[in-house]
Amino acid sequence: MRVSLNWLREFVDIDLGAAELAHHLTMLGLEIESVHVPGEELENIAVGEITSIEPHPNADKLVVCKTDVGEGEPLQIICGADNMKVGDKVPTAKVGGRLPGGFDIARRKMRGVESHGMMCSERELGVGEDQGGLLILAPDAPVGADAVEHLGLDDVFLEIEVTPNRGDWAGVIGIARELSASLGASLRQPYRGPSTEGNPPVTGLSSVTIDAPAHCPRYLARVALNAAVKPAPLWMRSRLTGAGLRSINNVVDITNYVLLETGHPLHAFDLDTLAERRVVVRLAEEGETLVTLDGEKRKLDRDTLVIADAREPIAVAGVMGGEPTEVGENTRNIFLESAYFNPKSIRRSARALGMATEASQRFQRGADPEMAAHALERAAALLHELAGAQIAHGVLDEYPKPVERPEVTLRYTRTNDLLGTEIPPSKQTRFITSLGFTSLEETSTDARFRAPSWRHDVSQEADLIEEIARLYNYGEIPVALPRVSRTETEFAPQDRRIRRLRGFLVGLGLTECLHMSFSSERQTEKAGLNGRALRFVKLLNPLSENMAAMRTSLIPGMLGHAAHNINHGRSTLRSFEIGPVYFPAPNETDLPQQTQRVVFLLTGNRADRHWSAQPAPVDIYDIKGLVEALFASLRLDPSVTEARHSAYTPGQCGEVRLNDTVVGAFGRVAPHVLKAFDIEQPVYLAELQLDALLAHEPPAPQFQKIPAHPPSWRDLAVLAPVDTPAGAVVQAAKEAGGKILRDVQLFDIYKGRQVPSGKKSLALNLVFQAQDRTLTDKETDKAFQKILHRLHKDFGAELR
Amino acid sequence: MRDQLEAVRGEALRAVADAADLQSLETARVHYLGRKGVLTNILRNVSEAPEEERPVLGKTANEIKKAVVSAIEERKQALEAKVLEDQAEQDRADLTLPGRRPSFGHKHPISQVIEEITDIFAGLGFRVATGPDIETEYYNFDSLNTPADHPARDLHDTFFVKPGVVLRTHTSPVQMRVMEQTAPPVAVIVPGRTFRVDADASHSPMFHQVEGLWVDKGVTFAELKGALMLFSHAFFGKDTEVRFRPHYFPFTEPSAEMDISCTVCKGQGCRVCKHLGWLEILGCGMVHPEVFKYANYDSETYTGFAFGMGVDRMAMLKHSIDSIHHLYENDVRFLEQF
Ligand SMILES: [Zn+2]
Repeated sequence: MRVSLNWLREFVDIDLGAAELAHHLTMLGLEIESVHVPGEELENIAVGEITSIEPHPNADKLVVCKTDVGEGEPLQIICGADNMKVGDKVPTAKVGGRLPGGFDIARRKMRGVESHGMMCSERELGVGEDQGGLLILAPDAPVGADAVEHLGLDDVFLEIEVTPNRGDWAGVIGIARELSASLGASLRQPYRGPSTEGNPPVTGLSSVTIDAPAHCPRYLARVALNAAVKPAPLWMRSRLTGAGLRSINNVVDITNYVLLETGHPLHAFDLDTLAERRVVVRLAEEGETLVTLDGEKRKLDRDTLVIADAREPIAVAGVMGGEPTEVGENTRNIFLESAYFNPKSIRRSARALGMATEASQRFQRGADPEMAAHALERAAALLHELAGAQIAHGVLDEYPKPVERPEVTLRYTRTNDLLGTEIPPSKQTRFITSLGFTSLEETSTDARFRAPSWRHDVSQEADLIEEIARLYNYGEIPVALPRVSRTETEFAPQDRRIRRLRGFLVGLGLTECLHMSFSSERQTEKAGLNGRALRFVKLLNPLSENMAAMRTSLIPGMLGHAAHNINHGRSTLRSFEIGPVYFPAPNETDLPQQTQRVVFLLTGNRADRHWSAQPAPVDIYDIKGLVEALFASLRLDPSVTEARHSAYTPGQCGEVRLNDTVVGAFGRVAPHVLKAFDIEQPVYLAELQLDALLAHEPPAPQFQKIPAHPPSWRDLAVLAPVDTPAGAVVQAAKEAGGKILRDVQLFDIYKGRQVPSGKKSLALNLVFQAQDRTLTDKETDKAFQKILHRLHKDFGAELR
Repeated sequence: MRDQLEAVRGEALRAVADAADLQSLETARVHYLGRKGVLTNILRNVSEAPEEERPVLGKTANEIKKAVVSAIEERKQALEAKVLEDQAEQDRADLTLPGRRPSFGHKHPISQVIEEITDIFAGLGFRVATGPDIETEYYNFDSLNTPADHPARDLHDTFFVKPGVVLRTHTSPVQMRVMEQTAPPVAVIVPGRTFRVDADASHSPMFHQVEGLWVDKGVTFAELKGALMLFSHAFFGKDTEVRFRPHYFPFTEPSAEMDISCTVCKGQGCRVCKHLGWLEILGCGMVHPEVFKYANYDSETYTGFAFGMGVDRMAMLKHSIDSIHHLYENDVRFLEQF
């Protein structure tokens, strides 16, 4: 909300400059988002009086004026406007003056006649929209005076962010009240209600009935007769413009002006359009409708509070008025409403109708039942003053059950215990009472206060302590080093391991991605995923179709990442992501399941290009190697079997198991998936269930004695049928070698001319070693033969 | 014989000096000192010389042999050094060529910032805690003193999975989960993903927060200030100025927002800080007694503070990243900068 400094000064004396005031308010909790000075761009503009108007000798649409600006001879000024007459006072920019947008006024010739300045319109001064002609000032404006000051344009506007708990800050008076407490300056009440003596009594003109007192605890109204609806005066319009509101007519402008000043929303009805000229506050009935001021036809439900006349709803209470009862040019008699509505009720109506108005936002935060009365008086006085209305005698005030004001006890020691301060009791009490709280009882240890009518946010001791802290100034509260005693419970035992793993993967040369948790059925299917991956947690209010569900796999995101970067010229990628996936809970009442996964993506070359080596493309063994490295780093031993998977190319896909449970898969991405992502190069992916991996935490490694006796090495090359799985051969060799076989490394595989067709050659390096002795040739020979025998038996392998 | 000896001395020393490489040196050695070498023969023949000449001849011959042996040794060392030198010249590396650098990856800046923040608070004794991204309204709102009709709870800010179940809009629900799980004292730091229905130039529908909570006997607002100032100095640098100003959160009372002096203009005013010189960094406050009620903590015995900060914003400030959207695009030209 935007607040005028001059307006604030009507209620409280402020000795601070704009910047200091902004800081002061910010430190009170009224965050200043910006400071705006409209007169900043206006220079050297005086109140001028037109002394003559003559036709321009060379132009039909221009006139030559003489304007007195109180400096000797009147200035000769060429002007294109036609709304002025001799004797009018107008804002006159002198030579050397300046208008908004850095427009400098210089002496110049117009169609052969010299012009020594410029007379200005509202728009040229940046104060309003009216560009129909010159801005005509009041007849009593002093000639030669500074027009900026005269027009109130030397004002400063503060853009304030009002927190939702402080509805009372949504008006000039509320902020003035806060300043009065914090600056120790008294709050002025400069305005009185209208004088109504001798006017007809309101009771004979209209009446109010509250049928829903829980929704509307208080409803006040006044009646204004014979109002002249016309534009509001400039001072009022410029304040509305400054606050960002549009001027409509004097009646509507008055309600808006009072809204800005008091923070309390008012509504004016055309009294003569109300059936039986009376008002009923009630809940809407099934099937009732209302065309609101914005021209929309609203269907009302039974929980919506409405203002009705004897027949039908005329306004959605606290939200928006209706079109048929709107105040217009022909309105004469006005029914002016000022009510206190239940915040919850207004919030419900506004939500149900999808409307958020100045009024509804204020009522939702909680209005002030006392300010309702004050605002009504202020508006009525202005209607009399600016619209010439006759204000009916008396106020219609329905207030069946006064709103209770909370009473709260404050213990002085609690304040200091919570804040870490030593604020004396007298100071604490003074802070609280300066904010309008009533002290009910004071002892040496505590005090009891009643909150003012505008403070709905205060209901307990902590609230009072915050008030003390605010006025004491947060900056003055001392700074202490926290003495945290470490919590015993480990809340996220996996966090440290995941972090270590992330570091390990980065060390392996992988770069970390982070994708949003959203996905969609389409995106997931596009990645070739099916089965469980298509069981989504869906959003009721997604931002877009592509973000309609929570992701069930990290793969779609990574394929998007590959497509994006390949598209931007980066064809070699080594990436990973660690993050959550989400699945519906088996039990409807539980929260969805969320588990951590890790995904690897490889595409392009194995290593960066280097002058010493030819680039080699990555293949399935690179992605498998990463999977192996991951497990090795966790000291886990997985098994890998060939598998079929809809996302991967057949024959290029492995399933990873840990203790017979599938924990993931890897492979070369299937051609149709690549095509769907517009990728034209092979991509390898692995996705693993990280939670399942981390569930196994192997015990700390136990030291194995370093062998004192030398190993002996033997190479074994066998011919085996070409489809023999190499892993099985190694495994069989390990089993057959017995205790003295320390390690088996497969170091060569050969298929081709030098081996018979249908066969391949497998070369194994066998390492024999015993803990307690040097092995004899006889011992190793024996083991070697055993291995050979086993390979022959299992696979038909022959020594090569 | 004497003359012969002198002649051999000159000849042998010359041959050694002239040897251009180790091989010709060896040839010379064999020629003079070998089993059938010239000097060896002479020495062998000394016994055949007249008796009176023998001692002198023998002495001279031995001297000559010694001289030749040491000349050969000297020459050999010189030649060997030359060989090494030649080899080195041949093997000289071009150190202007790039080395064979093992490739290394990059942690996402969000991960880096989360790790840095949690490390700083771990140093103060806070433990990491986590909670689910998909939360109940109870944990996300109600138990944090934000009932259904509360103005702070705005429908279009929150993603709904179904009535009563939302994508958490902040990491604060973990406060309640942690307090339910353990009796005080408790000090946790909670990083995580958070979600709001908000997508424009400066908002992403998913972002990250880090939440902190410390509850114990006698925790004060002064300590809240101390902890967060310590953090700001550790994260943004020692010269960073910090200020606390009142704010409103339903789950803390008193509540505050913390600003730091603008990291770009050092408080002078610039576009990043909207010419105010301060940047809003986090929200914080003393845990609201109503929240303790939900957690079954006795708010008379225990007090505590809580805070929450936007990780994305911290990362953007730290690394001068100009748009939040870079963080989720996963463009390697971006990721490799960190
Ligand atoms: Zn700045």
